[in-house]
Amino acid sequence: MVGQQGLNLAVGIITSHFGDVVAKVCSCLLRRGSLSLQEIVRDIGLPPARVKNCLLVLVQHNCVQAYSVPRAVTQYMGLLDNILHRMRFPKFLGILAAEFDDPLCLALVEGLLQHGRLTFEQLVMRATSTKSERTMAIRDSLRGSLDQLIRAHYVERCPKPEPFISATSEDETSTARKRGSKLWTLEQKALAAAALLDAERFSGIGDINGDESNSNQLEEKAKGISASTNIGEKRKHEELEFDRETQAAINENEVLWRANFEKFIHCLKKKACVTSVRTRLSLDAAVVLEAMIESSNHKKAKENLVTSSLDEILEWVMKKPGGRLMTMQHVRTCLEELKCKSSTEDTKALYAIDLGEIVEECRSEEVGSLVLQRYGKDAYRMFRLLVKRCRPVETDNLAEITFVKKKEAPGILYKLWMDNYVHMEIAVAYPGEKRFLWKVNTSTLYEHILNDMYHAAANLSQRIAQNREQQQEIANQPANDIQSKEYDRLKNTRIILETSLLRLDDTLMLFHDF
Amino acid sequence: MGRRPAGALAAPMPSPKRPQRAPALGTAAPGGPQEQRLAHLSETERKAYDAIWRKGDMGMWTADLKAEMGLAGNMPTKIINALKGKGLIKDVVNYRNRGRKMVMAAEFEPNNEISGGSWYVDGDLDVEFISVLRPLCRRAVENGPGGVATLESIASSIRDSRAFKVDCSVQQIGEIMGALVLDGEVLEVTSTGKGEFVGLPPGKKCYRCPREGGGGPKMGAFGSIPCGVCPRIAECTPDGVISPKNCVYYDKWLSSLEF
Repeated sequence: MVGQQGLNLAVGIITSHFGDVVAKVCSCLLRRGSLSLQEIVRDIGLPPARVKNCLLVLVQHNCVQAYSVPRAVTQYMGLLDNILHRMRFPKFLGILAAEFDDPLCLALVEGLLQHGRLTFEQLVMRATSTKSERTMAIRDSLRGSLDQLIRAHYVERCPKPEPFISATSEDETSTARKRGSKLWTLEQKALAAAALLDAERFSGIGDINGDESNSNQLEEKAKGISASTNIGEKRKHEELEFDRETQAAINENEVLWRANFEKFIHCLKKKACVTSVRTRLSLDAAVVLEAMIESSNHKKAKENLVTSSLDEILEWVMKKPGGRLMTMQHVRTCLEELKCKSSTEDTKALYAIDLGEIVEECRSEEVGSLVLQRYGKDAYRMFRLLVKRCRPVETDNLAEITFVKKKEAPGILYKLWMDNYVHMEIAVAYPGEKRFLWKVNTSTLYEHILNDMYHAAANLSQRIAQNREQQQEIANQPANDIQSKEYDRLKNTRIILETSLLRLDDTLMLFHDF
Repeated sequence: MGRRPAGALAAPMPSPKRPQRAPALGTAAPGGPQEQRLAHLSETERKAYDAIWRKGDMGMWTADLKAEMGLAGNMPTKIINALKGKGLIKDVVNYRNRGRKMVMAAEFEPNNEISGGSWYVDGDLDVEFISVLRPLCRRAVENGPGGVATLESIASSIRDSRAFKVDCSVQQIGEIMGALVLDGEVLEVTSTGKGEFVGLPPGKKCYRCPREGGGGPKMGAFGSIPCGVCPRIAECTPDGVISPKNCVYYDKWLSSLEF
């Protein structure tokens, strides 16, 4: 659940990327939920054609999803997470640059991030427009690079443009029941209906003969035909050739591709977990954890539980620069240090680790640091004890355990309570004797802190924009010593602000996306 | 503060007064000095003394004495002053409620529930003693074999250092270690019996310092920018009176960071 400040930040991002009018439409969708075109027009008072264009821009950039329901016109909903991911694009490109040496991969994803969704043909046009040579060679290399990106799940086929949500289709109810979830909202149902199955989502563009799966199917078809009969073999073969070419043409001209944010976020989560382990435990433990996550990469990216066999871990550890010197015994010790759960399956030693626990520890550290900054060391100690205990603790008891003066403890706790960091309950020990019990409700606290963090990110963005304007003003004036000094000062300030925003965004992801 | 000279190596500490069990009623030997002093008490004073004495090392709240004896006006104060003058009772401070006036028979020492135990002196937290003990405990962990130490080894290291005249119990050290763990200065780990834990039984609770010599919490991303610690964030709006554009906290922060 994202609070008001999250929506403000999202609207701010859209304003700076696409202008005020698009932001108005986006704001309307984010604040009011799913709306039809007519409803948006009525709400913001712009001409329908203009609103439609705004919606097209937002759909193109994966910020809005359309869907239809029985007896109603097309509904549009804002995709808040995708909007917020827009400020992470430099990080996404950084991940790719570290993983792929191929500059074409980077150029392809850059194109997709810049334009939201593109067909292969458009990607080729984009790549060749800057180069004088318009050869087939570039086209083939681009196809290979795109396939590579799709195989690694960095690029995916776009979801269905306008899924139809039936009132209570049996399929959906059974799926919901299967997943053991509560009742889904209409928006969640629409997202689920729009999502493609993994096989389709990541089926590659393939070579000239069409994509791999289709080509395999056609091969099988061809084999089946040749086994059954030889009559008309040539004609059938020609037909298949035609199928392949048609499929290839569809893949290249009609299938829309986009960057898979889920995969990028998974990579950032991996990075955050590894960094946390490196600081808290050891360098070697971090290498082993990284190897473990990478060896289980083919499994569901969304899941927090990472399971890998010892052999796979060893294989990936050896690929790491810091892992070549590690013996099997050392890897085992690191796995124990990481508190991995071990099991055996078909004589294979399996190790499992819950990334959620590492993320939770990072969150707790971040909140603790905030308490320390805002309320001091005594408050920090008391807060940490409450987080550790997970149950209400009485004021005096809390003060005794944390070595805080009895007189000061109520004051500190009162401040924490006023700012919603702790929850207070009153217990009546006996008539006239009230005792105050304190506890930390992490889920409410995280929501509250996340909202403040969105606010802070919006403030930082605003300050960066202000800085940029000031720099522009100075650049437009005739240069002199004072102005060049002021320009340098503003430049340095901007570096500080932008670095702070990048770091804050890491923390935002920790609380919202990981 | 620090009525107990706390633990500098050169400053030996007097033994803490240990709580005593209540002596049997009538321990005053016949004809002894106590008996002689009691003989001079009026009947009301004697009754008041008996009531206080019966409370033993828990002491008695003066309001309870007043209620129990049905005294009115300033009579209880007079009686208490008289008993104190004869050296039969004394004032004690309840560390939980310093405003509550309490008295106790002179031959008792306050119970931990009243005095607060070894960390309190006259109802006040002995900050000085704790501030000397904490770095000693941390140093004991750093100097442990492989940078790992158990509670017992820390306690024995403190004992061997002879920093204090009194012995610190393992329980006391455990309480200090608990606070250090909460502060993030040491980490609580469980021995695996291997590597740095060689010689320690698996499953044993141990302590070690954080890696890279780091101690204490790290500065988080949100806490390091003005908005993270801003008391006015709730009133801050893009174009309001309090706004990021004219924020004095931002200006101050940026001017302190600029390079």
